[in-house]
Amino acid sequence: MSSVDLEAKIPNNVGLRANKRLTMALEKWQPKFLDWWKTVGPSDFNEDQIYLRTAVGVGQGGWAHFDYVKMPDYRWGIFMADGPDDRKIHFGDNMGNDAWHTVPGEFRNRLRRLIVTQGDTEPASVEQQRMLGHTCPSLYDLRSLFQVNVEEGRHLWAMVYLLQTHFGADGRDEAEALLERNSGDIDNPRILEAFNYPVTNWLDFFCFTTFMDRDGKYQLSSLAESSFDPLARTTQFMLAEEAYHLQTGENGVGRIIKRTGEIMAEDKDPRQEGAIPLDMIQRYCNFWFTGSMDLFGGEDSTNAAEAFAMGLKGRYRESDGIYKDPKALNAEYRLEVPTDDGKLEEKDIPLRRAMNAVLLDAYIADCTRICQRWNRELKKLGVTEEIKLPNRKFNRQQGVYSGYRFNPEGELIDEATWNKNRDTWLPTQADREYVDSCMIKVTEPGKFANYIAPPTKGPNKQPVDFEYVKFH
Amino acid sequence: MSNRLCYVCEGGDCTEMGSGDLFDKLRDLVKEFDPDEERIKIRRYPCFGACEHGVNVTLYPDKVFYSEVTEDDIPSIAAHIKGEGEAPEHLTGKCEPDVEEIIWDMLDSPY
Ligand code: FES
Repeated sequence: MSSVDLEAKIPNNVGLRANKRLTMALEKWQPKFLDWWKTVGPSDFNEDQIYLRTAVGVGQGGWAHFDYVKMPDYRWGIFMADGPDDRKIHFGDNMGNDAWHTVPGEFRNRLRRLIVTQGDTEPASVEQQRMLGHTCPSLYDLRSLFQVNVEEGRHLWAMVYLLQTHFGADGRDEAEALLERNSGDIDNPRILEAFNYPVTNWLDFFCFTTFMDRDGKYQLSSLAESSFDPLARTTQFMLAEEAYHLQTGENGVGRIIKRTGEIMAEDKDPRQEGAIPLDMIQRYCNFWFTGSMDLFGGEDSTNAAEAFAMGLKGRYRESDGIYKDPKALNAEYRLEVPTDDGKLEEKDIPLRRAMNAVLLDAYIADCTRICQRWNRELKKLGVTEEIKLPNRKFNRQQGVYSGYRFNPEGELIDEATWNKNRDTWLPTQADREYVDSCMIKVTEPGKFANYIAPPTKGPNKQPVDFEYVKFH
Repeated sequence: MSNRLCYVCEGGDCTEMGSGDLFDKLRDLVKEFDPDEERIKIRRYPCFGACEHGVNVTLYPDKVFYSEVTEDDIPSIAAHIKGEGEAPEHLTGKCEPDVEEIIWDMLDSPY
């Protein structure tokens, strides 16, 4: 079991005290991080006391501490899950060998790229969400937003630790660059396109945390299987925090749907009550779900095959032993692909090349579960309309379906049909204006804007009307 | 190592209902007769989507989905894993079949 040093300038369980050079490098980066936080992190609110969870260890159950804290004083730490010292590689070409504790030279560039790409998403989402506090639907939700933000900040720390520890001067340069790129910046944007989309209202935020952060869960899960042990253990602990973000999204969209359903059950028009109609919520889900699927990369990918073969990225829960062939050499994956003559045909590709598609399958199953949960809530209210996940081919900008038009049912359509229906499938400017108009700031404890139902309980067993934020 | 797999939910709702302690207790009981995971692996799982029926625990390939599990139920689940007795019936069939299907579909992966 690793020992936790909470007194250090940077709380950690990675033995920073014993590594003076690394400590100095990280302490040099720390003020730059704080500058970044104050400049492009949550706008205002830095003087307010927020009831936040802070990671203080990695043991199950007691790993977090709750208290009021001003966000710039948050103790961003570096934590890794505990694991056996003699871990073996459990998939890919190097299966059975010892896991790596340092970066093998031949995989250096690829591993660095993986860590930088993951690391870049962490500050990006904080930047995307920076204005949301000004339109919070409740104190409860304001706190949730900031909890997500500070923990994404901690995840950035986790990736910077790996870069600075294992990649020398290159790693230090990359750590600087992570603070220099900026979401939506024309000259120096974030690496992945979806992390440059604006998140301007709380429906966007909850869809983001439901769908985009869930992509993060699957990417982190595949890194948590990595043969590079420090990366595996770092991401395993990040997943524990990420679970709260996903729940924030799933419950947040669910509460918006529930409120709309309650109004519909009273035979009222959600628009007349400042709530969000289901067809609009559907369009937002379509947009964020499809944008998130693009983050998985191409369904047929030699890059993905190599990352698996090398042991850098495994399948979802690979170490549970749920896959028949841990080397993935003897199977094929059936993929539906568009043909030049405007049809769809099934093609079998070697399983290794389909690793992104396999991960995407797990993601889609997870999102299906969420939709079912939201719809059960509507059904309980007597509302027969449902939220449906669009087909994986719909509105894709990456992978085998990009460059083609599909309807939400997954049927290949022509450009004219797309243009005619686009506004019924994806959010329009009018939708955005309407949703923005619903964003009324509510800061009285226990009160909620009328477009969202209250949660059933608060974090850390606090009541829903707890004063989650104390304004200065 | 066994291919039989037991998941204990560590999603937000189940954790608040004490799934962390239940996991520890079940793992300790099972370790007594299966110290090297030759019969079963006990693992945490993020969320099955049956949160309102937590704590949820699954057994695969048995395809048993236990819901509303409390500390008192852990010895009988451990006994069932050991092969001594049926799956405790009062803990099954509580969540919707489509929720159960999602986890079995994943575990039945053709790959
Ligand atoms: S939290 Fe346990 S099933 Fe969702």
